[in-house]
Amino acid sequence: MNLPSKWARMDWPLLLIALALSAIGLLNVYSGTRVHGVPGTALVTRQLIWILLGVGAFFAVYFLSDGFIEEVTNGFFIAVLLLLVVVLLAGRVRGGAQRWIAIGAFNFQPSEFAKIAVTLALARYFSTKYRYGGIGLKELLPAIGLALVPFLLVALQPDLGSAGVFIFILAGMAVVACVRWKVLAFFAAAGASAIPVLWFFMKEYQRQRVLTFMNPELDPLGAGYHVIQSKIAVGSGGIIGKGYLQGTQGSLRFLPEQHTDFAFAVFSEEWGFLGSLLLLVLFLLLVYRLFFLTVRSQDRFASFACGGIEVFFLTHIVINLAMVCGLFPVVGIPLPFVSYGGSSMLTGMMALGAVANLSRSRFTFQGAGGKSSEIAS
Amino acid sequence: MTGRIRKREQDPDITRRSRILLYVALAAFAFLLGRLYWLQVVESDRYRNLAENNRLRLRTVRAPRGLILDRKGRPIAETQGSYDLACTPVDVKDLEAEIGLLAEIVEFDVDNDEVLDKIRSAQRSNPYSSLTVARDLRFEQISVIEFNRENLPGFSVMVEAKRSYPYGTAFAHALGYVGEASPEEMERSEDGSLAMGDLIGKYGIERLMDNVLRGVNGGRKVEVDAAGRDQRLVEEVPYHAGGAVHTSLDADLQVTAQDALGNRAGAVIALAPRTGEVLAFYSGPAFDPNVFARGIRKADWQALNTDPRKPMQNKGLQGTYAPGSTIKPFLAMTALEEKMQETGKTVQCPGTYRLGNRVFRCWRPKGHGAVDMYRALVQSCDVYFYTLGLKLGPDRVAKLEKGAGLGTITGIDLPGERKGLVPDPEWKRTVSKEKWYDYESVILGIGQGALHLTPLEMAVGYAALATGGEVMRPRVVSKVVGKDGKVRTFPPEMLRKLPWNPENVEFIRKALAGVVNDYGTGGGAKLPGIVVGGKTGTAQVASVKGKMIKSEDLPYEIRDHAWFVAFAPVDDPQIVVAAMVEHGGHGGSAAAPIVKAVLQEFFRTRVAGPPGKGGA
Repeated sequence: MNLPSKWARMDWPLLLIALALSAIGLLNVYSGTRVHGVPGTALVTRQLIWILLGVGAFFAVYFLSDGFIEEVTNGFFIAVLLLLVVVLLAGRVRGGAQRWIAIGAFNFQPSEFAKIAVTLALARYFSTKYRYGGIGLKELLPAIGLALVPFLLVALQPDLGSAGVFIFILAGMAVVACVRWKVLAFFAAAGASAIPVLWFFMKEYQRQRVLTFMNPELDPLGAGYHVIQSKIAVGSGGIIGKGYLQGTQGSLRFLPEQHTDFAFAVFSEEWGFLGSLLLLVLFLLLVYRLFFLTVRSQDRFASFACGGIEVFFLTHIVINLAMVCGLFPVVGIPLPFVSYGGSSMLTGMMALGAVANLSRSRFTFQGAGGKSSEIAS
Repeated sequence: MTGRIRKREQDPDITRRSRILLYVALAAFAFLLGRLYWLQVVESDRYRNLAENNRLRLRTVRAPRGLILDRKGRPIAETQGSYDLACTPVDVKDLEAEIGLLAEIVEFDVDNDEVLDKIRSAQRSNPYSSLTVARDLRFEQISVIEFNRENLPGFSVMVEAKRSYPYGTAFAHALGYVGEASPEEMERSEDGSLAMGDLIGKYGIERLMDNVLRGVNGGRKVEVDAAGRDQRLVEEVPYHAGGAVHTSLDADLQVTAQDALGNRAGAVIALAPRTGEVLAFYSGPAFDPNVFARGIRKADWQALNTDPRKPMQNKGLQGTYAPGSTIKPFLAMTALEEKMQETGKTVQCPGTYRLGNRVFRCWRPKGHGAVDMYRALVQSCDVYFYTLGLKLGPDRVAKLEKGAGLGTITGIDLPGERKGLVPDPEWKRTVSKEKWYDYESVILGIGQGALHLTPLEMAVGYAALATGGEVMRPRVVSKVVGKDGKVRTFPPEMLRKLPWNPENVEFIRKALAGVVNDYGTGGGAKLPGIVVGGKTGTAQVASVKGKMIKSEDLPYEIRDHAWFVAFAPVDDPQIVVAAMVEHGGHGGSAAAPIVKAVLQEFFRTRVAGPPGKGGA
């Protein structure tokens, strides 16, 4: 496929939605990092650089030749696993967890890339195992193994929030890849019964978070503080919000992590219910576009990969928003494109780039009168 | 290339399954939207309030309490700056750790647990306004606290107005003291003007005149960050200082009274007889009101309350004592007014008086011989007054004594006044359903039995004797200047004018002058150049059967109370002084020198008008 035709088959809605979200995120970082009325320009500049790098990554992945992604999937998966091991051995400790690898002035989180690697690896695995009538238990077990290894490595950091995302991706892709309902039900039951075991493996602070999530007023100045302050930020925004740069919860530092995981709290304090609604609509468009491409892709690997990435975004969006709204325990999961952070931005853009790349195949079988001549290339 | 493509439309399942994901997404988004609607639309006001509370702190700027001045304009209660430790409960991160750290720096003026409890309850009830935890920090303490700022979020050193009493214990019972308003008091305050930690008068003038003395607090609305650090002043409301209270008290006289009583228990009261102005009002032992202003420690408070000499009791207007012989001039007056006995009539005093099979002793065992009324007063002959008591009967005596202010509420402008008791048959019937016995009339003649009076009543009664029947309401506050600058004065208030015959008054005055100047029992109050009239009193606390035992040889608790009440100059009374020493022994030796000291101080700065000319 030549370059002009790649341009022609480019899925622009996908990129435009991502850019719109990134622009909102950039404005929000500017507001969220301002302290006592002084904006934090340094982080805004960095976030802008991350957006540009992200767009670069998007196109870099997009322009990969057809089939290349599928070919390198296994290699990518193994490389990322190795990185996760490196993080555990030599990572930078921040906030009690080893999540970052420093490259120059930039820190990045391999766990973010691992989410994409796992998605692609699962897509590839499921695409080879797919059969009419659904996949059985035997075929599902290796897929579980694929998700379990990075899950354990990330959980060891410890970053249970990100680790949990692997489970969601696995579950979501199992649905798309037509694992039999019986098998899924069995695993759902098994998962539910595993919760007490999980509790046993949790660190004290993680248990505390879950407990205070149930009742934040239990410890208003400790573990419940995040949730309470975040709800105050969101709720005090009202219908139309306090206005851009007028939020107080963030700028007076009542909100912790106000530009990263709690970016939405800053946003909804300043833009209110209407702003929140706009953001939700954008996210819904993103998810819908990914669904659309999942269904339209002409190739099982592409279809499963799109579906997996749809689950990836959906998981991030829903968990992050639920957390900010006090519906989910506080876990370190960023809001795609809106939260400050390079790994999250690059991962998001690369994931969309991969979707755009893989979904080019949908034009192949568009039928008579269309661009079906491409089939020859 | 094409070989890789596995035709997808052969897999309708995948589309169906993908749609499930979309439904899940739609459901999740709908749920989130509902949650956002709940938070941002339905509950928005509540969270907006919480955000404001988060952000804004009301820092009370306390108004300084007004001055209390003595009659010469000297402050006897003032307000000074004090470095206090304040706490904003909501900003405290780890209360116990921080209090632990503070306990090492500041010796708390109040117990540690008390501070903890106070902050804990404020965390629940009023977490956003600051409260005072310790007062009067020293410079070293302030610097250590500032050094530890980071470890003490929620605590800060503030300059606060502190009540101070330059004369220490001297004015304790007249001025009273201030303390932090209790939650009940805050609730009761009409306009809700009392803030947490505000000082209010708890006793004495401080309490009585609290609404004048207490200013109106100002405040600063400050925006703070999450660490409680001030960011920006949002609004400022100035305070209005409290008004001033002018009293008729004389600081020099007060200090003299205190020194003269020393560490004995008792009361010294000086009045201007014609106006009712209280010139000195001391009750001992006293407490130091400064200690209260700093927040009294539990242990100190307990010590004050368990002291057998009751330092917290105002003996001048709450303690009631048998008056002893100080009652005699009232009996003499009753006899003269009722024309029951002439001044010249003599009574034989053999040292004892017999009624039926009871024998009553005169204080002088060998007796006074034949005494007339003048001699009987001067020498304080008991037998004479036993006779008179029986002859007059309780009703006549009670009528005159009550008229003169004894056994009645005098209406002084200090809180907590109690009245003594002037017994009569009516009273006896109501309390014990028994009839009045003659022996009771006899001992009533020398101020014993059921009769008991407060030193204040005695001062008012003698003021009536001195002025010839003017019963004035005693006043401590003479003038107040309100917060708004409005001046209110309290003119003398005459309760009644007794229709006494001036000749009789003249006789009593002369006789009382004789007590001091004519080899009487009150020689201890004699002053050069000024004629003092007065009467001693030695009130039995317990009757000791058999031999007469000197008071000094008895255990303290059952020693006699010593009284001396005097006025001067006799021809133109300007001052009445009543002194009562609990278990002090003889009035002449224990109480008269106190009165003398006060009179001396009074006349040191005032020229007494020459006899007969009047003045003051």
